[in-house]
Amino acid sequence: MRPRAPWHPWAMLGPTIALLVGFFVVPVGVAAYESLFSWDLLTPPRYVGGANYAALAAHGQLLNIALRTLGYSVLVVAGTMTLGLALALLLDRPGRFYAFVRACVFSAYVVSWVAVALLWMWLLDGNGGIVGRLLRVLGAPPVAILGDPRWALPALAVVGVWKLTGYAMIIFLAGLQAVPRSLLEAAALDGAGAWNRFRHVTMPLLAPTAAFVATTSLVTSFQAFDVVRIMTQGGPARSTELFVYAIYEQIFLDLSVGRASALTVVFFVMLLAVAGMQLRAWRLRGQP
Amino acid sequence: MSRLARRDLLRASLAGLFVPAVACRQRARPEMRDGRVVVTFWYAYGDLTRKVLLDLVEQYNASQSRVVVDAVHQGDYYECLAKLRTAIAAGAAPTLSHLVCEVVPYLARAGVLEPLDAYDGAHAIPFVPALAQAGAFEGGDREPLVAIPFNRSTPIVFANAYALQQAGVRPPRTWDELESAARALTRRSPSGEVRWGFEVPISWWYWVAMVGQAGGRLVESGGRVTLGGEAGEKAIRFWQRLVSEDHVMRPPPGRDYQAWQSSNESFLQERIAMMWSSTAFVRYLENNARFPVVAAPLPADVRASVPTGGTMFVLMRAAPDAEKQAAWDFVRWMCEPEQTIAWSTRTGYMPVTRPAVQRLIERGWYVGHPNDRVAYDQLADVAPWPWAPDLFRVERDIVEPRLEEAVLTGRDAHELMDEARAEAQRPA
Repeated sequence: MRPRAPWHPWAMLGPTIALLVGFFVVPVGVAAYESLFSWDLLTPPRYVGGANYAALAAHGQLLNIALRTLGYSVLVVAGTMTLGLALALLLDRPGRFYAFVRACVFSAYVVSWVAVALLWMWLLDGNGGIVGRLLRVLGAPPVAILGDPRWALPALAVVGVWKLTGYAMIIFLAGLQAVPRSLLEAAALDGAGAWNRFRHVTMPLLAPTAAFVATTSLVTSFQAFDVVRIMTQGGPARSTELFVYAIYEQIFLDLSVGRASALTVVFFVMLLAVAGMQLRAWRLRGQP
Repeated sequence: MSRLARRDLLRASLAGLFVPAVACRQRARPEMRDGRVVVTFWYAYGDLTRKVLLDLVEQYNASQSRVVVDAVHQGDYYECLAKLRTAIAAGAAPTLSHLVCEVVPYLARAGVLEPLDAYDGAHAIPFVPALAQAGAFEGGDREPLVAIPFNRSTPIVFANAYALQQAGVRPPRTWDELESAARALTRRSPSGEVRWGFEVPISWWYWVAMVGQAGGRLVESGGRVTLGGEAGEKAIRFWQRLVSEDHVMRPPPGRDYQAWQSSNESFLQERIAMMWSSTAFVRYLENNARFPVVAAPLPADVRASVPTGGTMFVLMRAAPDAEKQAAWDFVRWMCEPEQTIAWSTRTGYMPVTRPAVQRLIERGWYVGHPNDRVAYDQLADVAPWPWAPDLFRVERDIVEPRLEEAVLTGRDAHELMDEARAEAQRPA
């Protein structure tokens, strides 16, 4: 289809471009500029060049935040996709009971992050939380899960998986229902068992759905803030300090706009790299 | 457009990126409601303290017809501070708020706090010296008066009297006694349940107390941040020993006031026998414990030493003059003996004026409430805060996370403190 006038495409793209420039390009540019200053919002900014980046890189703080955020995202995406797909396969059946269970699983996704975080704080409470009690019954030594630097981040990832699994399940269910029954029946007639039908028919046809779930879960996990703010405030010993929370902490609690801006820039570059890798993977997949 | 004009335009645009820096301007007109000046008061309390404060605000509002105080809850101290700074930068600051001591020098240097020297009777209020700006900070009397004591506290020991009796120990007076008392008080059941002998939030305030007790100073008189030198490291090693070697202390989960709250709850549930906490919780703990609560001064190492805590009233410079005058009227009212007494006896915070203390003594309050007396007596050992604008950054960004790291991961105290001292020398 050809536009009637050369400016028509620009008119269509205009609102989106304006929004992107106003709320994305300009803020990132401002953050990049402000990252070169020492500034606390209240006193005049002072130019410090790359000192904010150097301070964050010192003692491996920046690297740790990046690795921690990536680790959390990997756990959340892998857990969400595995559980979401498993539940979708289990619950892709007619009947009121299955509909009820599907609704129950999905309900976690509808609840706000704040409510989810408070619920899990109660469950994981070191004094009398159900999870701790269950672990003790199973013979595990008493451990304050959210107070232990080794367990706090995996615990937050579990909360993320619990919240997002319902969403992944619904998307996978939609994907499963788009798999033609005729293909599955043909495979069955050819002697393919349940595993082979899933491996060679369902899985390839679910690939675009899986890519969508992976992308959206990745985006959500990178944005994790509420759950950290409420459950651990980045602790213990910075073990749950993820990027967005670290930015919040630098600017609002530690009074440093410059370092928060430097973190924002690094986070942006990291997301750009991840998005680039994802795009490249899709392009390679599209090639013959 | 000439090259010069273009450059000017570029400069102006870049300056625009920091617009909030120049937005700390004064609001011109005071807020009025029914002919009364509105004082917006941002406060940071929960539970009992919040209720007592709101009762007092209501009482003040009913006591006169010129001023109405609008008290707005803003989360805990740090959340309130975060909102306050942002509001100041956005030109939307409240009239009145209250701040922890460590942040006062920083905000005073930023020029956002109202100097109070010229306010009516500002130097005539008979404060308990260690709790007012002049005594709570080294050199606090040489700085313009910007902070008026409000809810002031010190850390104290709280112990379960039954547990002490059963174990045959008394509240410890030295670090060595603390270690042996914690051992004696720790109980392990066959099912793995532990009643911990001792608990203290791994946080700045308590560490500062121990630095003083071990003979150190956070900042030397020349302004160099030493974080107590060897004393700072000794304090960390003592915690590490109690947690990882003796297994008699549990660091509570959570950060900041979440950890404090967790300790209080564990104490009330008899999961810990003895803890360090703020005198602010005296009434709360006494009212909610199923056992007698005993308070005691913090133990000494080479000397006795405690920091002061809680907050001080500050007026925001950007507020209109009429609002500031009205806020000052409220602050003075709060400093009158009866209000000070009500605030102190209903919460556990220390009475901040001498006449209030005198009346409490005359009324026999401390005879009936010996736990309230502990913090007051401990004022003899107060180590004033340095008037150091960087102190808050050092606390939040540099020391606090390293304390947790040292205790929870066992990292070497000397290495961590060396790192912290180097970080403190780096410009913000």
